[in-house]
Amino acid sequence: MDLLSNKWIVNLLVSWFFIGVGCNSVEKKIYVHLNYTVPCVRLLNATHQIGCQSSLSGNVGVLHVLESEENVDWVLGTGANPPYLVILESALFTRSIMMKLKNGSGRVAGVAVIMPNANPLEGFSPHTSCPNENTGVYSETYDPSLAHCNVTMWNPFGNGLSYEEFDFPIFSMKDDNDTRVIRQCYMDHNRGGNGSVPQYPLCAMQLYSHMSAVTDTATCMRRNDLNLSLSPEMICDPLGDYNVWAATRPLNTTAKGHKTGESVVVAAARLDSRSFFFDVAPGAESGVSGFVSLLAAASALKTVIQEAPPNRTIFYTFFQGETFDYIGSSRMVYDMENKQFAVDLDNVHSVLEIGQVGLRADSKLWLHSDPVSRKNDSVNDEVNKLITNLHSAAVNLSVSVEEPNVSQPLPPSSFQRFLRARPIPGLVIEDHKSSFTNRFYESMYDNADHLNMSYPANLTQEEQLEFVTETAKALTEVATLVARALYIQAGGAEAQLRNINADPEIVTRMLYGFLVRTNNTWFQQLVPSDLMSHLGDRPTNFYVGVAQQTSEPTLLVQYLLANMTGSHFNISQENCKNQREDEKDEESKHMYSYMWVQGTVPPNNTEREGFCVRSTVRLSKALSPAFDLKEYTSKDYSTWTESRWKVIKGRIFLVASPDLEMMTLGVGVGVLITSLLLTYIMSSKADILFSSGREPANATY
Amino acid sequence: MNLERVPNEEKLGLCRKYYLAGFAFLPFLWLVNVVWFFKEAFLKPVYTEQLQIQTYVKRSGLGLLFWVTVLTTWITIFQHYRAEWGEVGDYLSFTIPLGIP
Repeated sequence: MDLLSNKWIVNLLVSWFFIGVGCNSVEKKIYVHLNYTVPCVRLLNATHQIGCQSSLSGNVGVLHVLESEENVDWVLGTGANPPYLVILESALFTRSIMMKLKNGSGRVAGVAVIMPNANPLEGFSPHTSCPNENTGVYSETYDPSLAHCNVTMWNPFGNGLSYEEFDFPIFSMKDDNDTRVIRQCYMDHNRGGNGSVPQYPLCAMQLYSHMSAVTDTATCMRRNDLNLSLSPEMICDPLGDYNVWAATRPLNTTAKGHKTGESVVVAAARLDSRSFFFDVAPGAESGVSGFVSLLAAASALKTVIQEAPPNRTIFYTFFQGETFDYIGSSRMVYDMENKQFAVDLDNVHSVLEIGQVGLRADSKLWLHSDPVSRKNDSVNDEVNKLITNLHSAAVNLSVSVEEPNVSQPLPPSSFQRFLRARPIPGLVIEDHKSSFTNRFYESMYDNADHLNMSYPANLTQEEQLEFVTETAKALTEVATLVARALYIQAGGAEAQLRNINADPEIVTRMLYGFLVRTNNTWFQQLVPSDLMSHLGDRPTNFYVGVAQQTSEPTLLVQYLLANMTGSHFNISQENCKNQREDEKDEESKHMYSYMWVQGTVPPNNTEREGFCVRSTVRLSKALSPAFDLKEYTSKDYSTWTESRWKVIKGRIFLVASPDLEMMTLGVGVGVLITSLLLTYIMSSKADILFSSGREPANATY
Repeated sequence: MNLERVPNEEKLGLCRKYYLAGFAFLPFLWLVNVVWFFKEAFLKPVYTEQLQIQTYVKRSGLGLLFWVTVLTTWITIFQHYRAEWGEVGDYLSFTIPLGIP
């Protein structure tokens, strides 16, 4: 008997224990959290705010999977349960639908876009049709007839969605488990049979992306400085990062300003890209194709420059933040003008910029030049020389170069910022004659597939890394052309040209690393150990981000460039990390930079054998001068800032009808009032109710 | 403090102190004065100091009304136009709300 009851008690305790443990999952029972959510965030410039935001407590809406453009009417007019949270297939993520939803008079709580696994057939670019329209060289003062893309609309697919302001959150989701759950929930609850009104409970979604900054950059920078409250909060941060540069001859970086007798040929490419969503910016054609070609060219030039150095210095530079009104190049030019850089504009002999070169039709590359500065004879002569050099570089290569119509202005390019300062001779190499061949400019589809990078099935990761794709072969040709042209332009002998050949192996590895998987064995060898955590099994995100953090592409390009142009240097790890060649060396750090990289794991060993790389690679600030000058309404410099936020998340759950909600609330309030009344009555009649005959306590006070 | 146990002269003294202190931009003291001495001033049977207390309570009430009007007007104007004033609005604010102009 006793034993039995003990058993029961134990059983009871155990089951209570489990109930107790299970109790904290009430939230889990109500909500399904979405794992992969990429928001659209708010950015601000001198005059506008763009992007999206939710309310502080998240926007809730009944799910509606949009089936066609006509179906928008359900959301905006006939649907019975607004506000709606619209789920869009990527094909419906168009300007016309988004603008209808934007003007949806409060019936839209948010939008979730399902990213497809394959690129669409038609073009899609959420960027403007005239990128960096107001901060390039063509303005009312330079040549009004060329301003605002009057001659060539560079990005004809541009619909400007990235530059719109939405007062509801927009998220993107991968087409995976999450979206399956969402669709299932929608099918089960929100579709009334045969067009009838669906019955509660309905499937709803809540999206959080509340942004702190508002109005424009001047407002949010002012509020950053106004820290009256007890817990001061930053509201927005300037966009920016670092430019990466290297010279074929070491330049003393401590001595700023003009260097007598120095003449540099600038070889430029841009590093960054963007898309509508925050951290999806694959930028394959718009960024990667150009800078990978330049990196490969730098690598191809390494030996010939050691053996037969040309008389001018080649200055490789990779600009960050060019998407947002030329942050990187405007800063470098500003520093050169103000004697804050290793060289100044007088040292610049000419500029050769590599733009978008990954999608060339008929193996042709186009040499774009500036018609305005070419009206000056001396500049025109230099440009013509540069063109001749490119033609002679293209001899015996499968790629040919041609010039577009002379009166056509430059496409959006960093070189325009140099021209704003003074008429420097220069060319921009592109794969398009007039408007972009890139159908997905600054969009999430500008990825490895867009460059037609395809790998045979059944390759391991390691084999894919080494497999030379057709894209890589094509870009190798471009890199060889660029390298040879730079060599002649720098005054090298034409006899050396056939010794300059870019390596397709390197190109294909770089493309794989940037566009498929940064966490690969090749990148691992070339970076220091503290960068390992940044590498991932995904393509690089080329969004420039805020100025406080150095982004992944900057660091990767820095180490790649160091390994490709620098040399193994046999010194201890300590000396290498302290930027010196021996204990007493104080001078070398002004000329070279030293990087300790991981190296490979030798056979029959488990630890990597690191080594020191000595190169001339440097980082220079890519923060718009507007923020140093505190001119937040500047018309000359980029003023882009990114708002801060606290929570970005999304979840789905079932909502009851408003009637049921109100009834529950009503009953609750009723119970509360009744209990209050009851307690009052009981306490006032206490002497009758609880008359135990005891002496009432005498209150004395 | 229970006013019941305080002699009438002291009541007058207290009421007078609160009334005068209210002029130091402390309208809450007037509010306290009005609430606290309302019964004494108007509901209690007549006594000598009552007339003086009545005057103080009335004046406190008027002062309070004045403050309420002024503050309400200012707060309404400020909340309505803060965003429009831009820079000035921000400098006048102690905490600035996030995410709205």
